[in-house]
Amino acid sequence: MKRIMHLRQKRSPGFLALKFVIGLGIFLTVSLTASAQTDPMSAPDVQRGKAQFQKSCAMCHGAQATGGEGPNLLESAVVTNPRKYHNLLAKVIQDGRPEKGMPAFPTLSPTEISEITAFLNARVQVAESSGASNQDVLKRLLTGNADAGERYFNGQGKCSTCHSVTGDLAGIAQKYPPRELEARFLYPPGQSEMATVTLSSGKKMKGTLQHLDAFIVAITDTDGSYHSWPVQAVKVQVENPLAGHLDLLQKYTDKDIHDVFSYLETLK
Amino acid sequence: MTFFRILKRSNSLGIAGLLLLAGAGCSLAQVSGAKDFMSPVGASWPTFNGDYSGRRYSSLTQINRTNVKSLKLAWAFQTHSVTLKSTPLEVNGILYFTVPDYVWAVDAKTGAKVWEFQRPSDGDHIGQRGVAFYNGRIYFGTPDAHLFCLDARTGKKIWEITVARVQSGYYVSVAPLIIKGRVIIGTSGDDENIPHFIIAYDWKTGAEVWRTPTLPKPGTPAARTWPNDKTMNDGGGPAWMTGTYDPQLNLIYWGTGNPHPVLAGTVRPGDNLYTCSILALNADTGKMVWYFQASPHDTHDWDAVETPVLFDADFDGKPRKLLAQASRNGYFFVLDRTTGKNLVSAPFVPTNFAKGVRADGSPIPNPAKEPQPDGALVSSAEVGGTNWAAASFDPQTGLFYVNAMQGYSYWYLVLDKNGHAETHEGGEVLTLKTTAALLGVDYKTGKIRWRREAGARVNNAGILTTAGHLLFTSDAFGNLLALDPADGHVLWHTRPGGNENDAAPVTYELDGTQYVVTGVDGVMYAWSLNGSL
Repeated sequence: MKRIMHLRQKRSPGFLALKFVIGLGIFLTVSLTASAQTDPMSAPDVQRGKAQFQKSCAMCHGAQATGGEGPNLLESAVVTNPRKYHNLLAKVIQDGRPEKGMPAFPTLSPTEISEITAFLNARVQVAESSGASNQDVLKRLLTGNADAGERYFNGQGKCSTCHSVTGDLAGIAQKYPPRELEARFLYPPGQSEMATVTLSSGKKMKGTLQHLDAFIVAITDTDGSYHSWPVQAVKVQVENPLAGHLDLLQKYTDKDIHDVFSYLETLK
Repeated sequence: MTFFRILKRSNSLGIAGLLLLAGAGCSLAQVSGAKDFMSPVGASWPTFNGDYSGRRYSSLTQINRTNVKSLKLAWAFQTHSVTLKSTPLEVNGILYFTVPDYVWAVDAKTGAKVWEFQRPSDGDHIGQRGVAFYNGRIYFGTPDAHLFCLDARTGKKIWEITVARVQSGYYVSVAPLIIKGRVIIGTSGDDENIPHFIIAYDWKTGAEVWRTPTLPKPGTPAARTWPNDKTMNDGGGPAWMTGTYDPQLNLIYWGTGNPHPVLAGTVRPGDNLYTCSILALNADTGKMVWYFQASPHDTHDWDAVETPVLFDADFDGKPRKLLAQASRNGYFFVLDRTTGKNLVSAPFVPTNFAKGVRADGSPIPNPAKEPQPDGALVSSAEVGGTNWAAASFDPQTGLFYVNAMQGYSYWYLVLDKNGHAETHEGGEVLTLKTTAALLGVDYKTGKIRWRREAGARVNNAGILTTAGHLLFTSDAFGNLLALDPADGHVLWHTRPGGNENDAAPVTYELDGTQYVVTGVDGVMYAWSLNGSL
């Protein structure tokens, strides 16, 4: 099943506004915006893109693109690596990502999409220049006891039944920035459930679960082919590869999490 | 059991006719007398919640438990826009619905466009909940915090006022509530540390009649729930969902949102009144008569703006005037709406943010589950137990229905080196797991009578119940559903092809045909028994 993961932070650093509040409801707002030469937000196409973004995108991705019901775009590789993904970003905006709940925007012109892209690039620049470094974040998060984390990993948490610190987790701390590492060990994103569908003939079909509700089940089989059936016509057995992670979410103390995180951060 | 008298279409027309004869110069849905609005929604759907009670329960029965399997598509209207998150109004055969910056008036029988109002604006475009109709006029709030009065016949502007400064972070997403010729709205805005208000305007001129802050006045006892006046005066409490109204008590019930900064509770120790509260206001003056705080000292952005649903029913063997809310913090509350006295506080989803409930019914937040610098795991969906999507109360089953979410989330506190919130958020959250389910809740106990799984993501579908023994809603799998409200079993379903079925379903009857309309992404669909598709 798909899920949306996002980091929610700094929803409005762009305003940089200093407010004087006199009584209730009377405001003077003094903008401390940086000069036009240095502020990437001041370019005309960025401003037009910002306006378009507010209209079309902000309701899910937040006014500052840092996420809401939809993901934080400033941490999306499609946005942060425009050279590599520029065409993909335009395509995503145009066509949407229906499987993730993002609607298509067929009425936006290529110019409008390019302005939205310019706005997002400017936001990434602003966030990178003002945001906390990964080192700052790491310092904040690294409060656990790595030895206790190792014991939990190999003992109570049963992490070592599926994972190996010299195998799949080797160098994991270098692979992901701190918050992403924490999110990934708590509940890794993008893991599809596996399903075995038993047809009325008795034939069993195995594959990645694409859809399962009260009416329809659909899988992609091991050859990559898609199949669907009415739920009533078949038997469905679902296996969640994240069952162990889900089980731990019900058991973790916050100290356990901080300890495991501190241990994983030693895997460089 | 209930004071909301069943009102058939003929009765509505009768009242309308009387008013027309009296020279009121208004048509059916302009009937604004308290008695009419106390009745269940019938042939039309003239307000955001259909009626003042917020039950979203219709007396229509043409489409019912027996024949709903024959429901067909009558028409569809493509807005070519973003996801519809508004509740449509049906007045005199015209449907009015919105997205931010846009209002459409559409023939409720055919889906043909009558007019479109469009006004690009700055500000937060996160959502628009709909319009209000009164005396031939449409009232519409905008992302730049203006309130528009439009001619309902043409969509042309009659007047426009500025509610608050968009530059300070305000917008207006709420569908206005009309009481005694006053247009009542609340301010939205959760991007800056600002105070919020509930405001009444004169329907004709837009002149302000009263304005009630959702934060206490300095020097009052409630102000002592904040560390100081400055923090309090920037402390939030947005009022971004439409309230309900009891004409007999002359009380408006309005929910308020989260305190500011959002996640950084350490900079605002105390209960932070009147954020995350249900306020009872005198409709004539805006004066607060009582309050109930659903989330003292909220640190998870779990507003208490969900509709305070009003009904009269037995409680402990006695008939009582009740108010029920399935609040975003995952608690189901029932209050005596005359006094605000708490009768039920029960979690409707698993959650560990609270370590118990106070004697006055408010949950006690667990400080260990507030956002922490190194993170705190909370056994709740990041979005909370529910959100803005409409709940419903069905007097036939005595059940309160809510589209609920549960799961896990991980919360960080982020302060600067001076110990202040680094941003308006003051923290970050990891969304770990979210699953949705539709719940039928016993109002007397808060116990879950039935549950229907609704998918592994946020579900913002609204709910409608009808006297035809039906419950209309959607799940997060993309299905539109008609269920038996007694046990949740499926009577009809279809896949209209969208991802977000976020416009709350409403129903109305025109020329002998009952319609149910549902928004799917940017398309409005109307369903009826004699539909052709």
